[in-house]
Amino acid sequence: MKQWMCMNCGYTYDPEAGDATQGIEPGTAWEDLPDDWICPHCAANKESFELEED
Amino acid sequence: MAASALQPLEDLDQPDFDAFAVERAMRGNHPDPYPLLERLRRQGSIHKLELHGLFSDEPDVEMSPLSHYAVLGYDACNRVLMDGETFTNKEAFQHSLGKSFGRTVTVMDGAEHERFRKVLQKAFLPKVVARWGDSLVAPVVDRLMSKFIDRGEADLITEYTHHFPFQIIYSMLLLDPDQAERFHKLAVAQLLSSAGHPQGPEATRKLGTFFAALLAQRRANPGDDLVSHLATVEVDGQYLDDDVLIAFLRQLVNAGGDTTYRATSILLTCLLNEPDLYEIVRRDRTLLPRAIEEALRWDGPVTTTFRYCQKDTEIDGVLIPEGSIVDVCLGSANRDPTKFENPNKFDINRERTVRHLSFAGGPHICVGQHLARVEMTRAMEAILDNLNNLRLDPDMPPPQIIGYVLRSPEHLYVKFDKA
Ligand code: HEM
Repeated sequence: MKQWMCMNCGYTYDPEAGDATQGIEPGTAWEDLPDDWICPHCAANKESFELEED
Repeated sequence: MAASALQPLEDLDQPDFDAFAVERAMRGNHPDPYPLLERLRRQGSIHKLELHGLFSDEPDVEMSPLSHYAVLGYDACNRVLMDGETFTNKEAFQHSLGKSFGRTVTVMDGAEHERFRKVLQKAFLPKVVARWGDSLVAPVVDRLMSKFIDRGEADLITEYTHHFPFQIIYSMLLLDPDQAERFHKLAVAQLLSSAGHPQGPEATRKLGTFFAALLAQRRANPGDDLVSHLATVEVDGQYLDDDVLIAFLRQLVNAGGDTTYRATSILLTCLLNEPDLYEIVRRDRTLLPRAIEEALRWDGPVTTTFRYCQKDTEIDGVLIPEGSIVDVCLGSANRDPTKFENPNKFDINRERTVRHLSFAGGPHICVGQHLARVEMTRAMEAILDNLNNLRLDPDMPPPQIIGYVLRSPEHLYVKFDKA
């Protein structure tokens, strides 16, 4: 499975869950996250994320 | 890799100095900080107050003279932690962990922190540490358990939890297992600087000498271990600075062991205090991750962390002036009823919509959180699998979780059916 992981802390963005802490609805694809969205665990920006294959 | 080619770690000048007893005294034996934290939190999420003084009779010689603001509400704690520009680490930790470990990531901020942090975190990402469950964790927990499994009774703290995460780190670094006791002692002794004990700086210096030689050896002759990796990894065409690597290794032997042992001890206490719940988890291992997260939330071992306020900042109507030390009370945030229903109850079935702050949050969130989870899982599985009919020893004192900044029980006396 492909998933986006924060390289600063290891948090994985789960599109099915979204991110309630920043008002991101469940079902929001990675590509549709706003540019100013930050990692909800460590506050790193979107550029800190990499696509990981499981 | 021939660990024996290295000079062994030098012992303290006073070899019988009991670093563990001194450290225990330093931590204090406060039985339960939560009722007072709850009363304060009800009055407001921020107070001009040093928390340490509420729970310990011994002043913190470095920190107590400074002006402190205690942050107790979940949202306020999270806001402080997530804003690494306004609330920084360096000034908050340079006199404590900075003295013990040196130029570690904990005392860095901004771009410098990010640069080193990314390299270190990469070595501890979930998929990396998942592989260590079999290769590193299982052999250590099995070896420790083999020493008491035939006895039918044990103290699971002094014979098991107190050792396993430290020994996992020694294996990770390919250190000589015969020196495990000395490493453990010096890893703990490093922290005694903040209480003014000369053994603190002595341990810091001796670990530094050892790790400098270790880095040079592995750089000359790299294997596939963590030290070889860190010694040879390049960022922008350069090796990482040796002083940063040495500080990280000092921190690793301490922070990686001390916290995980306490968290596992608290988890075991929670489960063994409720035998029916222990049995439910034993039969349904899918519940183990929930039990681990709930134990971390309910009584995480690190109750408070610190930040330095860079500019006047108002949170929840309270002004935190520039130059203040902010006591970020993770333990209080984790019991905030606006986030966790019935927060004082240890309830593995609670909804997990809000994350606990036991690994902190923001740029300095724990590098080792994924490893800690693997370690706690394996240590618990070995117990659930092998110690049949495990129960608290009715003839011995029940476990009591004590301490303020770092919490755990000191003993956990159990009985089980002999193997
Ligand atoms: C249950 C076990 C653990 C707990 C509760 C815990 C807790 C924490 C907390 C609260 C912090 C944040 C400190 C701050 O406010 O700046 C932290 C940072 C850190 N932890 Fe852990 N920790 C645990 C296990 C580990 C392990 C196994 C390692 C080994 C890799 C580790 C390595 C670190 C490091 C290197 C930092 C500094 C990160 C930075 O400043 O960027 N921890 N930990």
